Amino acid sequence: MNKKVKTVLGPFILVVLLSISRYLFSSKMTFITEIAIYSLFVMGNNILYGYLGMVSFGQPFYLSIGAWTSAIFLAYIGHNPILAMLLGIAGGVITGFVLGPFFIRLRGDYFALINAALCAIGVFVFQKLLIGITRGEDGLWFRTQMSRVRLLDIRLPNNFFFFVMIIFFIVLVLYSHMNNSVLGSSFKALKVNERKMRFLGFDTFRIRWIGFILASALSSLSGSLYALNLGFVNPSLGETHRAAEVLVATLLGGSGTVYGPFFGALGFLGIKDLVSRWVTRWELVVGVITLIVMFRFSKGIWGGIRKVSLKIYDRDERSAGRCGRQRS
Amino acid sequence: MNADRTNTLLNVSDLEVSYQKLKVLFGVSVYVKKGENVVLVGRNGAGKTTLFRTIAGFIKKGKGNIVYKGKEIDRLEAYEVAQRGLKYIPQDKQVFSDLTVRENLELGSYATKDHEWDTVLVHFPKLKTLLDRKAGNLSGGERQMLLITMALLGRPELVLMDEPTEGLAPQLVKELKDAFKEINRHTTLFIIEQNLPLTAEVADRVYSMKEGKIVAETTARDDIKEMVFEKYL
Ligand SMILES: Nc1ncnc2c1ncn2[C@@H]1O[C@H](COP(=O)(O)OP(=O)(O)O)[C@@H](O)[C@H]1O
Ligand SMILES: [Mg+2]
Repeated sequence: MNKKVKTVLGPFILVVLLSISRYLFSSKMTFITEIAIYSLFVMGNNILYGYLGMVSFGQPFYLSIGAWTSAIFLAYIGHNPILAMLLGIAGGVITGFVLGPFFIRLRGDYFALINAALCAIGVFVFQKLLIGITRGEDGLWFRTQMSRVRLLDIRLPNNFFFFVMIIFFIVLVLYSHMNNSVLGSSFKALKVNERKMRFLGFDTFRIRWIGFILASALSSLSGSLYALNLGFVNPSLGETHRAAEVLVATLLGGSGTVYGPFFGALGFLGIKDLVSRWVTRWELVVGVITLIVMFRFSKGIWGGIRKVSLKIYDRDERSAGRCGRQRS
Repeated sequence: MNADRTNTLLNVSDLEVSYQKLKVLFGVSVYVKKGENVVLVGRNGAGKTTLFRTIAGFIKKGKGNIVYKGKEIDRLEAYEVAQRGLKYIPQDKQVFSDLTVRENLELGSYATKDHEWDTVLVHFPKLKTLLDRKAGNLSGGERQMLLITMALLGRPELVLMDEPTEGLAPQLVKELKDAFKEINRHTTLFIIEQNLPLTAEVADRVYSMKEGKIVAETTARDDIKEMVFEKYL
């Protein structure tokens, strides 16, 4: 199939399936919205971990940048939720742009840890230092401040669902395009052989920086949507333990792929939703399931789906091929 | 040395390089003129790879200097050296094995803003039939062809190749040899080679290296064939 068609068709099918599910399981609408929003967060981490091979223990920081930017804007400055979202993305881009040059120079383990430190500092800043603005532990409420925007009043959950689907579709198309473009190849190539990239003439520092900014922007977008969805943000959003969660979701779904993050988010939130009703330590169950998936399919859920479907496709192909060969 | 030094493309003088405390190159001086095919021979461990890596900007020199096209390049990053048209193909024959041949070439194109594949693929038409193959599944010879093609994107003026024929079957070595001659018509080459008959056939000039020093230089074909190597290898 043509690459360009594939870039749009895949995201389209996924978003249509999600929209159908919304009607089949109408009680699960909010849950599906959350999965799409969480997918964006996982997609951000996937650029770092899956494509560039950089482990960060601080992604919730970038998530909270987006959430707080949107929340503060809506609580104090303006009323337009879409503008709030755009500002959230801008916050992520700026954060990535400014921190990138310092962070991406660091060796793997230091990169992971400095992000964890940043995350802890972020929680402190939003909880204590800026308590006058963020209201600390109590959190910042702004639901009533949001105004109606033309065409789509996203204050209504049903409309918000479709709004998120549109965003999710656009981001997936861009992500898929990135995956097939030279940028995607250079991320993957950098991960396996940075030296060779430099011999080819690549400024690998800049490529990594671009990846870092994209990751930060996606996390912030996710944070913004999270805030808009709840109409409320509190500092626990940026807590360090969520960093492990997004890494697990990335692995579970299949790292370094376009659709892996969605399946990771679905798997992670799905298991959490099911298990936490029965077991309080649901994290343990998620951990065990992730291990099983990783041992069975090294490329996660999406890798597993692809492997199985390739086998089926292959079988069809072979039986079709046999007739073809006899003729020739 | 009293050779004619006009048209010098690369000039390395009195280069000293160490790995931590271990000194590996002791005052190496070599030059390459535009259009030449210069071959560097020498035993394993002589320091040939170290010399190439230093020229390519991957290792920082101790003393000496490296001038390419009239400008000092020894403080540049490896990618900047490559962007100036001096490419290095390492000994390891590593391609990006998870990417297809096409994607590998796209990377080469993107780095150099050169998207004219036809002019570089003429040397290895076989690659055209392998474009959608994962580079990891190529044979050693095909990999080397891909690496050379990638390096030629951007029309570099000078290409350094580190033991390109190492471990390849005789038939492939012959194919590469013909390609070197073809490529050399428009690109200057500086090649590390252990294969002496091949060296004798393609080289305009040969340096011989031993224990971190250049111990011989010759242009005479007979020398290349016999004397130099028996004495120094
Ligand atoms: N990364 C390194 N660290 C320390 N010593 C090295 C390194 N690479 C090469 N050497 C040493 O430098 C010397 C020259 O090696 P090299 O340049 O690879 O030689 P050649 O390519 O001629 O076989 C050898 O003694 C080798 O052991
Ligand atoms: Mg060597």
